Amino acid sequence: MSELAIERQIDRSHMTISDEVAIQINNMNKWYGQFHVLRDINLTVQRGERIVICGPSGSGKSTLIRCINRLEEHQSGDIIVDGTELTSDLKNIDKIRSEVGMCFQHFNLFPHLTILENCTLAPIWVRKVPRKEAEDIAMHYLEKVKIPDQAHKYPGMLSGGQQQRVAIARSLCMKPRIMLFDEPTSALDPEMIKEVLDTMIELAEEGMTMLCVTHEMGFAQAVANRVIFMDQGQIIEQNEPHAFFNDPQSDRTKLFLSQILGH
Amino acid sequence: MKKSIMLGALAVAGLTAASASASTLDDVKARGKLNCGVLSGLTGFSQPDANGVWEGFDVAVCRAVAAAVLGDSTAVEFVPLTTQVRFTALASGEIDILARNTTWTFSRDTDLKLDFIGVNYYDGQGFMVPKSLGVTSAKDLDGATVCIQTGTTTELNLADFFRANNISYEPIPIETNAEAQQQYLAGACDVYTTDASGLAATRATFEAPGDHVILPEIISKEPLGPVVRHGDNEWGDIAMWTLNALIAAEELGVTSANVEELSAAATTNPEINRLLGTEGDLGAMIGLDAQWAVRAIAAGGNYGELFEKNIGVNTPIGLARGLNAQWTEGGLIYAPPFR
Amino acid sequence: MTTLTDTPKQGFRLSQLIYDTRYRSITIQVIATVLIVAALWWLARNTVANLTALGKDFTLEFLGNRSGYDINQRLIAYDSNATHGRAALVGILNTLLVAGLGCVLATILGVIFGVLRLSKNWIVSRLAAVYVEGFRNVPLLLWIIAIFAVMTESTPSPRDFRGENPVASMALADNVAITNRGAYIPEPLFANGLGDVEIKPGGVFADLYFNVSIDLIVILLTLVVSLLVVKLVNTRAADIQNATGVRPTTWWVNLLIIVAPIAALLWGLGFYLGKPELSGFNFSGGTHLRNSLLALWLALSLYTGAFIAEIVRGGINAVSKGQTEAAFALGLRPNRTMRLVILPQALRVIIPPLISQFLNLTKNSSLAIAIGYMDVRSTLGGITVNQTGRELEGILLVGLFYLLLSLAISTGMNWFNDRVKLKER
Repeated sequence: MSELAIERQIDRSHMTISDEVAIQINNMNKWYGQFHVLRDINLTVQRGERIVICGPSGSGKSTLIRCINRLEEHQSGDIIVDGTELTSDLKNIDKIRSEVGMCFQHFNLFPHLTILENCTLAPIWVRKVPRKEAEDIAMHYLEKVKIPDQAHKYPGMLSGGQQQRVAIARSLCMKPRIMLFDEPTSALDPEMIKEVLDTMIELAEEGMTMLCVTHEMGFAQAVANRVIFMDQGQIIEQNEPHAFFNDPQSDRTKLFLSQILGH
Repeated sequence: MKKSIMLGALAVAGLTAASASASTLDDVKARGKLNCGVLSGLTGFSQPDANGVWEGFDVAVCRAVAAAVLGDSTAVEFVPLTTQVRFTALASGEIDILARNTTWTFSRDTDLKLDFIGVNYYDGQGFMVPKSLGVTSAKDLDGATVCIQTGTTTELNLADFFRANNISYEPIPIETNAEAQQQYLAGACDVYTTDASGLAATRATFEAPGDHVILPEIISKEPLGPVVRHGDNEWGDIAMWTLNALIAAEELGVTSANVEELSAAATTNPEINRLLGTEGDLGAMIGLDAQWAVRAIAAGGNYGELFEKNIGVNTPIGLARGLNAQWTEGGLIYAPPFR
Repeated sequence: MTTLTDTPKQGFRLSQLIYDTRYRSITIQVIATVLIVAALWWLARNTVANLTALGKDFTLEFLGNRSGYDINQRLIAYDSNATHGRAALVGILNTLLVAGLGCVLATILGVIFGVLRLSKNWIVSRLAAVYVEGFRNVPLLLWIIAIFAVMTESTPSPRDFRGENPVASMALADNVAITNRGAYIPEPLFANGLGDVEIKPGGVFADLYFNVSIDLIVILLTLVVSLLVVKLVNTRAADIQNATGVRPTTWWVNLLIIVAPIAALLWGLGFYLGKPELSGFNFSGGTHLRNSLLALWLALSLYTGAFIAEIVRGGINAVSKGQTEAAFALGLRPNRTMRLVILPQALRVIIPPLISQFLNLTKNSSLAIAIGYMDVRSTLGGITVNQTGRELEGILLVGLFYLLLSLAISTGMNWFNDRVKLKER
């Protein structure tokens, strides 16, 4: 178990999983040149599901979620997000990207813009929201991640944890229906991990569909309703957290869990 | 170019006080070599031959001075100079004498602190045009594009000539004779103007010299002569009288062929005797030995010989003596008496 | 720097000047200053002494004397009766002209080829690479001479345009003549022109007289007013975007605001184009863009453009890939990503080295003399120095001019750089 225990009481009242399919991936394959990064991926994500993806480095877990908003291109198989199939069609890509938010390991805030401008840029230029309204929305989410007082500072003036929370708020300003997290806490100092995880838990409590690549097993156990283990480009095993941690089926999962949890 | 001017200016300014004031004669003797500034390549006047040995009418003056002073006409270091740096090179002591088609003018002689030691070629600025243009007079050149070498009196004469005749022109300033030639032949300019001797020399190198004519107008007086630094009169005298010795030798019938014979013993002509050192002590008066003029004449011949050999009618340049004939022949070439 | 009054309480020992880090730097600075001052003093004294020995005094009086030579390209009135000072001014304007034109074209070329070199299209990026490496790795002087030679050798001479069956003919409906002396293009003329104003300063600045066309002033004023109105329209468009989220289409309104008043004004002034015509040896009428200007401009722009292309490429590459990904993930299209996210960040990397490229271009323009372009180096630093023999004064003045110009350019660019600089902590 991660050193950071999830201390807070989690409110599960909104964390309901509907029958509606949010993401459907069928027989998806991807190569980097000769290297087969993702092999025959099949994955269905229901609306409201909170999925944690783990696995050793180089197992293809980041690549998988980056395929979902086409930061990476897949070569075969289908990816259907919110009923829209992801192809080279620019219109589809735009539609999916505006529905899917993403947070990166290194935050990737725009350093030349203030926190507020970071949050309003996409709503104004993509969603065509009036500036005043966009700023109201931004302030709402900045309050939600508990840094409204930093709104007029530049990203370089903030700590790592604060920056990651801004990045989450920036994504939320686009009112996405799905959130992707690519190792959101890996670049943070330990004392900052908690503030980011708390924000993510809150998001889960509101019923957001989440796919999260992370090694925070405490978070997985407390929030996820499914944990997926990947190795060498394949989904090896998936299960609800309790069963996944206490009764792993595959040898590779056992080995991975013993390395990550064992002392 | 830029660098050498800068260095030259700096050298004049800061670093070479000694060479400007000390005796040039002593310097040359100590060095064993005469540093002579020349044009970087004008057929007949100064040009290295196939073996890299400099030859030409201007070069011959330096060889004669070296022969007179050092006893060896090959003890000369030739320094090719552009029009822009020639005076700086002289003033800074980089060269001892400048024999480079330089026009003797008032301001150069006075304001620029130079001393002209005589005239070895009476020239004038002329115009060369392609025959096909059908131009017969420089006054027909209204609106023409004219190639000129910058940094010479040429561009001043040109400006004055066109201004006086109230006709317009487009000057194209060019650094070297070779570039001017290329621009002229490419038709980038209608006219090439420089000293008539230079035009004749340039035309001689063309593939079809007959396709180009030199217009009759000579728009300036261009007495060309060797130059030394102002202030060292002993050195100036040596250079001046070496040139005069060559001129007097022609007048007196002393040639490179008979100079040995005539100097072996005193002749019946006292002026020849004084010139060749068999009578009197003219050499000592300028700090040289008695045989100085003999060596100068033997180096390449007298003035007339040098003219015919380098630029005369039988050479590709094909210049007639004209103004440059001896005064006895109706020309301007005249040496003061050797006495 | 030289005061050592604040000696420590425990007393000051002389060895501290060398071994104590607090005093060591002061000691070194004092010694260096003394040495430099001594060297300068020695040089200055020697210069004065040598100039005196040569009978030359340091004076700028020659600037007031008649120059006696003509200059082909002059942006202000000048003839051989004008002074050397005036000739220097003509040269200065020619330097400013080629440097200004060069900086603009070099920047355009640099941005285009810098972006092209990043293209995913193999042929395009290779071509851009060939351009950059070709121009960067060959000395500028060779390019200037080569371009000039090509322009002279490959184009017809004006006499080829003459006769019954001319070898060459004018281009663009007889409006433009390309010759080996340069391009002759139509010039703007006004049938009902308003004339010129003469500006004539007195005293030391008497050489700075020049004429300004009233037509030009009126046209510029109109343009400025139009641009202010356009700015107003754009501000309004931004307000509407802020209020409703939708930016109204303004380009045709802007176009109308700029074009209509100018067109009306030109009509009123009786604007027409004066075509170049063959007369005598050359074309007359029209504007003559000399080969020396064109070749120098092209060579300077292409050469410096190659360096700027690398700076632009480096600037864009310096913005991390994560920035593009974050913008894409938010749904921004590639062109908006470039404009709103990448370029503003790339600019702050690009501008400081861009300043030195502008300075290089300006200073390199002094190579003009190789092809007879009459810049300040060729007039003041060339012919004037030769005719007057004032090489020290002339070269110092030319050096001073380049120094002041370079300082002005870098001050301007640094001000711009401060405005786009990234704020951090």
